[in-house]
Amino acid sequence: MRAGMSWRAALVALAGALIASSQGCRREEVAHARLPKEQALPDAGAPGAGPMGGGPMAGGPMAGDVPAPPRPSGAGALKWSLPRGWTETGGSGMRYATLKPPVEGRIDVSVVVLPGMAGGELANVNRWRGQIGLPALDEAGLASARKEVATRAGKVSLYDFESGGQSRTRMIAGLLETADGNTWFLKMVGDAGVVAASRSNFLRLLETLHLD
Amino acid sequence: MIDRWLSRAWDAITSLKLTIVLLALLMVLVVGCTLAQVEMGTFGAVKAFMRSFFVWWAVPGTGWEIAILPGGALVGLVLAVNLLAAQGRRLELSWKKSGLWIAHAGLILLIAGEFVSAVFQIDTRMAIEEGQTVNYVESPREMELVVKDVTDPRYDDVYGVSESLLSRGGTIPVPGTPLSLRVKAYLQNADLRMRGPQDPPGPATMGVGTGVLLAPLPPVTSDDDINRSAALVEPVAGGQSYGTWLVSNALGAPQSFIHEGRTYVLSMRSRRIYLPYSLTLKKFSHDVYAGTDIPKNFSSLVHLSNRSTGEERDVLIYMNQPLRYDGKTFYQASFGKGDTLSILQVVQNPGWLLPYVACALVTLGLVVHFAITMRRGPRRGAVLEA
Repeated sequence: MRAGMSWRAALVALAGALIASSQGCRREEVAHARLPKEQALPDAGAPGAGPMGGGPMAGGPMAGDVPAPPRPSGAGALKWSLPRGWTETGGSGMRYATLKPPVEGRIDVSVVVLPGMAGGELANVNRWRGQIGLPALDEAGLASARKEVATRAGKVSLYDFESGGQSRTRMIAGLLETADGNTWFLKMVGDAGVVAASRSNFLRLLETLHLD
Repeated sequence: MIDRWLSRAWDAITSLKLTIVLLALLMVLVVGCTLAQVEMGTFGAVKAFMRSFFVWWAVPGTGWEIAILPGGALVGLVLAVNLLAAQGRRLELSWKKSGLWIAHAGLILLIAGEFVSAVFQIDTRMAIEEGQTVNYVESPREMELVVKDVTDPRYDDVYGVSESLLSRGGTIPVPGTPLSLRVKAYLQNADLRMRGPQDPPGPATMGVGTGVLLAPLPPVTSDDDINRSAALVEPVAGGQSYGTWLVSNALGAPQSFIHEGRTYVLSMRSRRIYLPYSLTLKKFSHDVYAGTDIPKNFSSLVHLSNRSTGEERDVLIYMNQPLRYDGKTFYQASFGKGDTLSILQVVQNPGWLLPYVACALVTLGLVVHFAITMRRGPRRGAVLEA
């Protein structure tokens, strides 16, 4: 019986130690790191990278879509004409609108609006490039990549990027600053072949942008 | 009286019937956990069934939860106690029983190993693009609020506030800076949506979050999902408030403010652990069988650089051939971005050897017991013949 008592005491202590240790491993500090500028890259592991077998668009919505302010209305709301066969769903979550071209395959067309410069054109373009695995541009590279589309709402800065690799991803995105201080982002991204098939219609849509 | 109760309790805890019940419960848990992975994902199911003391069931429409089964942690703990106690009570301490002692020790070590893994294992990942050098791992299931001082042109000072600190709320001083963060709310998972013209004002008073409304959501459980965490924080420095900011990993736009000439950027991201060494992805390969899209091999050729030890070498990480370094194991886990991004699963488990040792002990114990029994068999036969 004595031996049994000592066994029990040891076992109770062991169980207590295990439970206590499970509660004691919480990281509650403010961590600090000093990093050279070049290491401060955009988050590469943001949502959107899928499990093995997935691609850049696997695992849910497109990564990195920025939030929008209160939905502009009246004169502040950007309007467009949809190409034939395209459909539009209203804003959900952080999007102002989602557009759907009449093509099969991976493609996503989004409209997002933000107040002010929303971090700046260079930062946003580099964020987009990062999403499809392209290195960042500097101001000179940005200027040479930029094309302009004239619309009734103002000049749209247009960018067209394609990733490397076996399953190529292409992104065509336009930025438009409106007089009320908002920045509009219209972005089409997906498999390179599918995006190429919808490119001309997307450009046609951009040309129809207007505010009145 | 007390002795009688203790004696009964001792009988119960050393009961072999209890062993059988616990083993049966483990089987039920394994089946339940396997089936639950369809809805909850691997991580969620293992957490709910195996790494908890009870399996809870949410009664629909009531907000109540009731325990329907003991969880793997409780069953394992009781089983370990039961095995230890039963061994102490039943097995005589003699050489002829040494095989059974070793086999039982192996079983107990196996259960202990699972506890060590549950408590001490850290699962992280490293997302690394071709040509990129990375010196940190990320925990995709834990968030941190980052305050980054980007003033110096040569480097950034990065301060990460852990999720548990944010959950606790209150005022959090940021060491090394004059800043404190007043945490007004923290949502582990949230629905963020644009504020419409008829909606009330949002909780944030500064930054892009002023036009965003928040609603709490239950944390995600699936492996493929990630929480959209959100915090409402008020930076305060020198008695001056910089307003209330909404910081979320669902927000892509940079948000910053300036205090005494220093620029601080606020963001929410997966928790990072910085390493004293770095990996550079030289090439990611995604090979397929000729003429098909069927994957044949995934591999990452990385360069390991550790300035503190002077170590510089290339390592090829591929399926079932991880890199083991500095107590961490880097497995090839995923890829993306047109085959230019490799995602390595990084596991740090101080008890990773325990299951191997446990299995070796069980095998050794059975072999020893078998050998002793074989040796005793002919002798017993000889005695009978005599």
